Amino acid sequence: MNPQIDLTDRNGLQGDKWVGPKPEIKIQDLTEENIRFTLSNTDLSMANALRRIMISEVPTIAIDMVEIELNTSVLADEFIAHRLGLIPLDSTEAEKIKYTRDCSCSQYCPICSVEMTLNVKCTQENVTKDVTSKDLISSDPRVVPIYSGKNAPGVLIAKLRKGQELKIKCIAKKGVAKEHAKWSPCAAIAFEYDPHNRLRHTEYWFEEDEKKEWPKSKVGAEEPEPSEGEPFDYNLKPNKFYFNVE
Amino acid sequence: MPSTFHTLERHNLFRHPSDQKYDYPALQEIVAPHIESFNALFYPAKNGLLNLAVANLEAKVVSDVPDDMKNIGNKLKNNVQVERPLAPGANKQSTTRKIYPTECRERLSTYRGKIHVNLHWQVNDGPINVERREMGYLPIMVKSNRCNIRHMYPKELVRHHEESDEMGGYFIINGIEKIIRLLLVQRRNYPMALIRNSFLKRGPMFTPYGVNIRCAREDGTTRSFGINYLKDGDCVFRFSWKRQEYTIPLVLVLKSLLDTSDKEIFDAVVQGDFTNTFVTDRVELMLRSFNVHGIYTKHECTSFLGERFRVSIRLPPFFTSEDVGNYLIDEVVLVHLKDRRDKFNMLIFMVRKLYALVAGECCADDPDSPQNQEVLLGGHLYGMIIKEKLDDFLNIVVSLISQHVSRKKPVDFFDKKFLSQIVNSTKFDLGQKLNYFLATGNLLSSMTMDLSQSSGYTVVAERLNFYRYISHFQSIHRGSFFAELKTTTVRKLRPEAWGFICPVHTPDGSPCGLLNHLTSSCKIITAKLPADNLIQKLNLLGITKKAADAGRAKARGPVLSVQLDGRIVGWCRQSIAESIVERLRHWKTMKEHEIPLELELGYIPPSSAGQYPGLYLFSTPARMMRPVKFLPNGKIDMIGSFEQVYMNIACQNDTIIPGLTTHQEISPHNMLSVLANLTPFSDHNQSPRNMYQCQMAKQTMGTPSSAYVHRTDNKLYRLQTGQAPIVRPKLHDDLGLDAWLNGTNAIVAVLSYTGYDMEDAMIINQQAHQRGFAYGNIYKSVVVDLYEQRKHGEPLSKRFMLGSDVTDAVRKFLDKDGLPFIGTRLEEGSPLYAYYNETTGSTTIKKYKDTELAYVDEVRLIGDDKGEYDPQKIHIKLRVPRPPVIGDKFSSRHGQKGVLSQLWPQWDMPFTESGMQPDIIINPHAFPSRMTIGMFIESLAGKAGALHGMAQDCAPFKFAENTSAMNDSDENPPAMDYFGEQLRCAGFNYHGNEPMYSGITGEEFRADIYIGVVYYQRLRHMVSDKWQVRSTGPVHQLTMQPVKGRKRAGGIRFGEMERDALLAHGVSYCLQDRLLNCSDYAKCLICKKCGSIFSVLVRRGMVTQTERKIDCKICKSSQHLSLIKIPYAFKYLATELMSMGVKIKIETSP
Repeated sequence: MNPQIDLTDRNGLQGDKWVGPKPEIKIQDLTEENIRFTLSNTDLSMANALRRIMISEVPTIAIDMVEIELNTSVLADEFIAHRLGLIPLDSTEAEKIKYTRDCSCSQYCPICSVEMTLNVKCTQENVTKDVTSKDLISSDPRVVPIYSGKNAPGVLIAKLRKGQELKIKCIAKKGVAKEHAKWSPCAAIAFEYDPHNRLRHTEYWFEEDEKKEWPKSKVGAEEPEPSEGEPFDYNLKPNKFYFNVE
Repeated sequence: MPSTFHTLERHNLFRHPSDQKYDYPALQEIVAPHIESFNALFYPAKNGLLNLAVANLEAKVVSDVPDDMKNIGNKLKNNVQVERPLAPGANKQSTTRKIYPTECRERLSTYRGKIHVNLHWQVNDGPINVERREMGYLPIMVKSNRCNIRHMYPKELVRHHEESDEMGGYFIINGIEKIIRLLLVQRRNYPMALIRNSFLKRGPMFTPYGVNIRCAREDGTTRSFGINYLKDGDCVFRFSWKRQEYTIPLVLVLKSLLDTSDKEIFDAVVQGDFTNTFVTDRVELMLRSFNVHGIYTKHECTSFLGERFRVSIRLPPFFTSEDVGNYLIDEVVLVHLKDRRDKFNMLIFMVRKLYALVAGECCADDPDSPQNQEVLLGGHLYGMIIKEKLDDFLNIVVSLISQHVSRKKPVDFFDKKFLSQIVNSTKFDLGQKLNYFLATGNLLSSMTMDLSQSSGYTVVAERLNFYRYISHFQSIHRGSFFAELKTTTVRKLRPEAWGFICPVHTPDGSPCGLLNHLTSSCKIITAKLPADNLIQKLNLLGITKKAADAGRAKARGPVLSVQLDGRIVGWCRQSIAESIVERLRHWKTMKEHEIPLELELGYIPPSSAGQYPGLYLFSTPARMMRPVKFLPNGKIDMIGSFEQVYMNIACQNDTIIPGLTTHQEISPHNMLSVLANLTPFSDHNQSPRNMYQCQMAKQTMGTPSSAYVHRTDNKLYRLQTGQAPIVRPKLHDDLGLDAWLNGTNAIVAVLSYTGYDMEDAMIINQQAHQRGFAYGNIYKSVVVDLYEQRKHGEPLSKRFMLGSDVTDAVRKFLDKDGLPFIGTRLEEGSPLYAYYNETTGSTTIKKYKDTELAYVDEVRLIGDDKGEYDPQKIHIKLRVPRPPVIGDKFSSRHGQKGVLSQLWPQWDMPFTESGMQPDIIINPHAFPSRMTIGMFIESLAGKAGALHGMAQDCAPFKFAENTSAMNDSDENPPAMDYFGEQLRCAGFNYHGNEPMYSGITGEEFRADIYIGVVYYQRLRHMVSDKWQVRSTGPVHQLTMQPVKGRKRAGGIRFGEMERDALLAHGVSYCLQDRLLNCSDYAKCLICKKCGSIFSVLVRRGMVTQTERKIDCKICKSSQHLSLIKIPYAFKYLATELMSMGVKIKIETSP
């Protein structure tokens, strides 16, 4: 784990005229599902842009087309299709898959898509069979539904009773969340700056006692607490941003 | 407080429905009045209301000798049997003959059972013969004692394709579920003092004073009459017979009842109080003035009466005048009493009450107060109609026989075949008549039924969502007669309604206050209580048989009459009355001495000019009652709306007054209806908002059924992604409402952002929308019946199939049987179904006509009852997807409705420090004027509940109003503090605020934002059903103006006031555009010389030629012609005027 990534390297800003301190990302915590980091030495607009892009423009893979051959479940076709679309797929190899719009094929082909099939029938009496994302069989081992752990149950798609059957072919494609939320790579993005309200961008409303009614910011320890009666510097600009991406 | 969602329990119940008990018995309670009142028709077997009614039908008599007055012919009388719904015997295909409700729903047929009538007849005093006759099929109430799913529990119900908690209480008529409305009517067997100016119109001597009584026979049928006070102090008896009103001297009625004397009447009325000259004078005058007629004995009086009413009351000619008089007395005067002496006493009581009213000793009773009302129950009404129809039937039989007699056809009463032939040849289908009643809600004749309206008795139990559905069973109407009344007094909320009728749950607008709802705790008594030993008990407790006995001790207070169900059982003094009430109440709560708990002890104490005092006991059915706690022994007591007025009931502990309070409310929620109880924190809202919420909960797109595949409703709404509310009252769990989701828990931020949330609009997070927020469907039905398309008597020639003349394009949509494939996507013009005509050999393809996209969800083939033909009827269920679109309506549970104005991208939405982004943004201006504080608290509670993973109780009156009013012991702190503390524990701001950042710039907002979790409902009003647009389109034939109506692609009326607005703005070009160019613009030739537009005609003989010469017929030239532009409507006006000989001359200038 590299605790410091120099943004200037990647963006090729080395030769630029800007001579100020280099923007810096400090990763505090990194797990499969979560990353907590601090971005500093940059503008608020830059930090927010990063947040917005993480939400909307990181390409991922999600099921985009569904061909339903047989659906005798109680759920409607389009509803199952919608549920399938929202199943998170492993998108680490998203770079290697083309957007369909950039591909030469007319609808879909192995270059721009991954085919998955769902073929489940409930045959047992008096049992409700759960159809989950684990029943999805992918044609490409790189693009499979992901789970939060080895024993985690899959994402529930439908429930079947005896005699009910689902026979579905799904086409997963690359896309961005701008187009549809199913391509969004992240859940919530925690974003915070100026935990002690030194910049006075906001005013904490309180009824009796501000300290009692407002919780302390979790990132408050990162910055020195302003002492009582410190003069207000209206030229200050935020330059340290705390992120937590799920 | 409940803190669990019971998710696992519900899952378990859902997977393993019980066959022992109902999962949610409280639900069954809601429909109990409907079912029990229907059951009362047949239960107990011998004394069911229907059998009592039939027993009460008087025997019809017909004679076989036309003019012989003495020879009495045969008598007819009948009794009734109703079977459970069964398939007709002719059907050879069905495996079981029992029919279940779901079959009727799916086949769009009626749930009904055969009805038989046993007709008894007798010749002279010969043996009784019985003739059995079928009377068609009677619609049966679901889950009543004539229903096939009556004793089923969830497991079996599910097997029969019902809801697991099917409640019943409705009829199924042609596949539609119908309910007989509950109606508020005058309390039975209680004389009411009235002051009405309308009495003055009855005649010159009349005054506004009167006493009215509505008497109910054992079978539930009623007859009302009144006595009126005349200016000279006399009293008259007023009644109506066959819609005609009659008045007769009261003394005549009294003397016809019994062999009585003037002295007896005088004594009875005066009751020994000779000092009251007001009464003595008037009684004396009344008796004196009657003696003018010179009739004295009972025989004379009844004969006198009979003579005069013989013509209006149709009785056989061999009845003597005395018989007619007695018949009238029995049928009109106090029909709830059988004994003549009882009738006499009660009539005297009414006279005393009337004199007291006139003298100002007592006040008038309020007929609009629930104290003086009871409920007309569906089942009872049903029985009354059956009784009336059977009476009609007997009359038809009698008239048929007398026709035979008068036409000199062979008549032989001793021949059984003769009567059997007469009875069976009479055309009479009782089932069909009741079917008509339930389908339309119209009463065809209400001659003898004593009801104030002739239509509007039934309503469809709409399954828009479950809340609306259960509200139908609780709704109670005052009667459509009052809807037209200009006065608003009937609509007022009265304090007497407390605990029985919900003050919140009534619509605003025209039915306000007339269409009410019962409270969640209100019960309706559906059967007569056993009160046989009550009189004996009363005698032991010290009542006396004669008023004078009690009155001897006059000095010790006034003498009160003691009545049981409108029968005077004795008299007593005030102190004794009080002790009787105390004793009886003790006994009934302790279940001692066989005093039924539902006995109503209406004690009105003596007062100056208050209600007329007395002890009125009621054991009758149809009364509203509710449970409260009886403080002396801590038991549950049932109290009625009559007695409640004079009782001291504390609401909560702090209102108990020692020594005075006898009862306490079990819970303050008991004053609210089910729906009003479900509004979270309604005690913190401004009251009209709670009313709006009750309306809106019923318009929500929710979960109307859990058996969609077995439903064939015309239109069914479904919220696809419903959630169980985090904030819910206990009642929500008791009713199992988590199975009937009605909305979504949404993250709601209250801020003004982007301006798209102005004026009650709301912004929805686009990504939330894409993930399925508030997604819904509408199911629509298409029913086709080829059988009905056939002309009468024609053989069946059409069947659903594709002929060889069908193109492949159509075959993509339709299968060989002419029906669409399941799942087919339909657009406007897509083939929907096809049938083949065998006579012409051609296939007709019918198309889908709506503009909206739809999918075929189900196709149902419906056979006929007997299974003779190929199915001729189909039912296609279409599914119309309805994702939320801009313009759709949403609301929280606090009467805060708003329109979706923009789907705003997630990355532009504001966010909190933890990265939370709201699903919905609403404007803070929605709050100050509406004062829905409950919504703030819900937001707070929802947020805390979501953070801690628990359900929050939101029942009203749970929290202290403020910190200072807090009791140190059991009460909860104010809601704000309770939930604030929970939030603080979760690391949030105490007041629910959070700092938020603009999603666009990333900058922190100046103010912190109130953000939390609120349950949002999606309302059924959607733009897709309402948008209307037109550029050009169809026009009206006569005026050439655009037609109206969305369906016909018409325009929206640009009316007079809109015209005024444009005039005021001076935008004349715009005005001309709207009113002429875009409307009925027409070109027309005019002769400038004569100013006529009609004289301009094509020259004779040139009509067919291409080169036409056009002339003015009057001026005989074409010189002055010119083309003008006028509204076509003007041309039409000119034509109309011309037809009346009026000429219009138009002056033109260049």
